[in-house]
Parts: sequence; C-alpha cells; structure tokens
Amino acid sequence: MEILSVLNPVAQQRGVINARNINPRPASLDGLKVGLLWSGTAMGDVALRRVEEMLRDREPSVQTNFYRGGLPAPEEVLEKVSAESDIVIGATAD
Amino acid sequence: MVEIEKQGTPTVLIVSGRFENDAKASARAFAMPGIRYVVVPWIFRNLDRQRTLQQTEAAFDTLTRELTGDLQTTAQNVQLPPTRVERFEGGDYLDALQVMNREFLNRDWGDGFPMMPATASQVARMLAGTNLPPDHVVCDLPPGYGLATVEKIAINSVMAGAEPEHLPVIIGGLKALSNMDPEWVKSLLISTSSHASMLLVNGPIAKELEINSQAACMGPGRQNRANLAIGRAYTLCLKNIGHWYPGQLDMDVLGTVRKFTVCVAENEDASPWEPYHVEHGFNPNDSVVTVFSTSGEIDVADQGNNTAEGLLKTIGYNCIFSQWDLVRQGRDEKGSAWDTIVLVTPDIARHVKEAGFSKQDAKEYLHNLAEYSLGRMVHYYPLENKVLPEEWRWLQNLSEEELHDTWLPVRENADHYVLLCLGADRAKPIVIPSRPACPQSVCIDPYRPT
Repeated sequence: MEILSVLNPVAQQRGVINARNINPRPASLDGLKVGLLWSGTAMGDVALRRVEEMLRDREPSVQTNFYRGGLPAPEEVLEKVSAESDIVIGATAD
Repeated sequence: MVEIEKQGTPTVLIVSGRFENDAKASARAFAMPGIRYVVVPWIFRNLDRQRTLQQTEAAFDTLTRELTGDLQTTAQNVQLPPTRVERFEGGDYLDALQVMNREFLNRDWGDGFPMMPATASQVARMLAGTNLPPDHVVCDLPPGYGLATVEKIAINSVMAGAEPEHLPVIIGGLKALSNMDPEWVKSLLISTSSHASMLLVNGPIAKELEINSQAACMGPGRQNRANLAIGRAYTLCLKNIGHWYPGQLDMDVLGTVRKFTVCVAENEDASPWEPYHVEHGFNPNDSVVTVFSTSGEIDVADQGNNTAEGLLKTIGYNCIFSQWDLVRQGRDEKGSAWDTIVLVTPDIARHVKEAGFSKQDAKEYLHNLAEYSLGRMVHYYPLENKVLPEEWRWLQNLSEEELHDTWLPVRENADHYVLLCLGADRAKPIVIPSRPACPQSVCIDPYRPT
C-alpha cells in the first residue's frame, strides 16, 4: 500500500476570515420604510414593483421608495438607500 | 446588498434561477455569509411580464418572513479552513496518484485533465523559483478573494506541471488580475458571458523561458511547453485560490476553451513597433506580464493584398462586431469598457511600418474603417427598456430604419485598439473582442530569484 501526501491547493478566503453578522430584522412591517433597489437589468423592476404593491396591500402603514442602482450600484446610491430605509429588498436579474 | 448590510440596514435579495449558489459564494467572498435571500425559479432578464409577476407573487410570503422576525443573524455558510495536507492511498504510487486525481476533480480542484502531485518536495522545488517567502500574500485573488500566498501559488503551479522558472510569471499574472478595477474583474470572471483572461509576456524573460511568440503560439504542442504550463497554472490558481468554480463565481452560460488560459509572448524581434510593455511605460529590459480580457476570437485571412492600406482594410472590416457598448460608452470617466485586440502577424506589421504608419497611425486607420450600422449594434439592448443611459435616450426617438441607416465607429476611439505583433509570416491575423477592456501589466523582475 502506497500513501501519497500532497499539499492542499485551496486558499482561505478573506471574506471568511473577516465574516460579519447580518443585521437584526425588525419585528414587523408596521410603519417601516422599505427601499426597493433595482439593479437596472430588464424585468427586475417589474418584480420589485409587484413586491412594492403587495407590501402596501398587506401592511398599509409601510412606506416604500424605489431606487435605480446599477451593476454595480454607485456608492452614493447605496448610502442614500441605506440612510432612507429600515429594510431593503433587491433583485438579481441574472 | 452586502454593502447596504455593512452600512447597518437589513436586506433581502430575490435571487433568480440558478444563481443561488452564486449568491452564497458571493456572500462568503464579501464577508457577509449570512445574507438573506429568496429564490425564484426563472432568470428575470429575458422573462415575459406574466411569468415575472407569477414567480414574484409566489415568493412573496417567503420574502416577508425574511424581512421580519427573529432570524438567525450570526454568520452562516462559513467554510472551515482548508486542510494543510491531503493523503491518498493506492496499491502503488500510480494508483494513489489516480485516486488523488479522481478526488481532486470531484472537488472541482482541477481543469478536467490529470494533475501532478504537489508533494512537499515538489512544492519546495517550485518555491526556489522566486525570492518571495512562502507565506507572503501576493494578493487577495478575485473573484472569491482567497489569500494568494506564494506557497498556494506554488502548489497550484506544481499541479499544472509548471517549472520553478515559470513561477514569477504566474505570480505576476495573478497580481495583475488583482489590480483590475473591481467592476471589470467581476465582469471578466463572474459574468454569464464567456469572458476569459489572456496573458501576454514581454521583455527578456520571454526568451529565457522559451515562451513562444512565433508560429502556432496559441495552440497545443511542444513549441508551447512554457505557454501552456503558465496558462494552466494561472487557471488552477484562479480556481483554488480565487474560488472561481463554475456555478459559484463563474456563472458562464456556455463557457469557453479560452478559460484554459492562453499565455503568449509578443514577437518583439519581428515587430517593427515598440513592444506593448514599452508602449505602456515600461523599459525594454523589464520583463512584464499583462492580463487581457477576451470575449471571442475571429480568424482573419488576407489572400493577396500587399499594401499597408489593403492589409489594414482587411483587418478593419473584420473589426465589426454586432454589439455596441451602449451601457458604458460616454457614461463616466471610465469611458467604454470594450477594446479590440488585433494579433498582427509580422509580415503585416512590416508592410504597415514601411508605409510610414506608426502604431498609433494604424490604430486610427482601423478605427476609421471599423464602422457599422447602429441599429444592428444596439439590437441586443432593447431601446424601449428603461435602463438605457440618459445620454443615449435620443436613440429612442429614431425609427428602426433610421437606426439601421446610422453608422458609427464600433469603438469609442482609436485608443480602444490594441495591436500586438505575434505569430509567423503570412497575413492571417486574429481579431479579439475584449469586453470588459481592462488590461493590467505587472513587472515580473521583483519576483525572480536574486
């Protein structure tokens, strides 16, 4: 029986070493400002607009704001969306 | 969405189609592995309105559950650190090697072909090819931002069948890739398009390592021993250090053989022009590696022109591509992200030079020739779509016929042409669309043994 020992080629990822927790969720939708961030790709806006309608139907106190981001979204847009929203919904269209 | 989470606002992402694994891998790469998402079955971009609404409505209840409540917020989806040594048993050494190859390929740690075993002694031999210490981190390698230590690069280089003297070129190529604008490097590596890297080597090291710049320099064969080993090592490093695995951070729809990375040297002896690295500020005696992005390859054959103008026309008429950089052209200071790389054979380059064209003159000539119907070039990007950049909205006022009758240069300006002298005599150049255009060059000399 032969045993071949080789060194592992896979590297640790910086993002795994520096992993951060996500933010706590709000308890309910009541009175929330919800940001809808569109990446600018086709039909993503249609999906997010439908989510916006359904959120308002389910919880009329929700305030929504629709933002056009881009791929990638400019930093100033991200800062604005974060500052103006309690929670943000995005969509990847491909 | 990760950036918004980092700013303190909770997020939920709607992930479409086969992108769930990519979402997980991207979340890991960008240090927010617990990011919340819901999955809908179809990719939105080419979907009709009815299906878009249907799948969104079906996901709504799940989406609202992810928006609120007492969810797990501590980091999930975190991988354990890689083991240091892997052991494989077999009846004899060859058997053990075959077991290793099967297992590595199952883990997607290879390119599909058998790999050499990166034993401690072989890796030590490889490390003698550079003056950098094994634990030196060359870069955080995109797209997964793995720590590219010299040792990990050496391990992957051994597996690729490279030699120690190739190591500085491999290190330089990876460093150059990591220097790219993050937007372009994501497009090059993660995009659903079949984009691939191409490595160009300039300077004295090309001859020292016998990196082929002449006949058949981009194909298989003994003449390309160094080219192939360096390109393969670069690819394996991208996979195992950059975590560039298909379906996770490599989302190609079709893929391309160009992802078995092409490495070539410029034919500086036969070129009448200054080499690429000198054109870009390096000294002729610097050894330099440049990473280009390629998105195709067009074989051009001239069957009898023997003037500079005639030969350049043959190339220029083949620089017509069916798409136009509608998204980026003129948008901001970055300008267009699309280049055209022309691999000019030495005989064409001599004709052009002898007729008094500088390299810049030749680029201008090609730029003026390479015009095409705007209607055909923008068809891929429906103009009624609301995502059209503001500076191009005037196009929406043109009829289809007017669009088709409007001819424009296919590139933003002559600087978006890259001319490289490569190959052997016989006027059969190759034209390469480069999208995203993001060449980066690194001097290799600091990585070589002193």
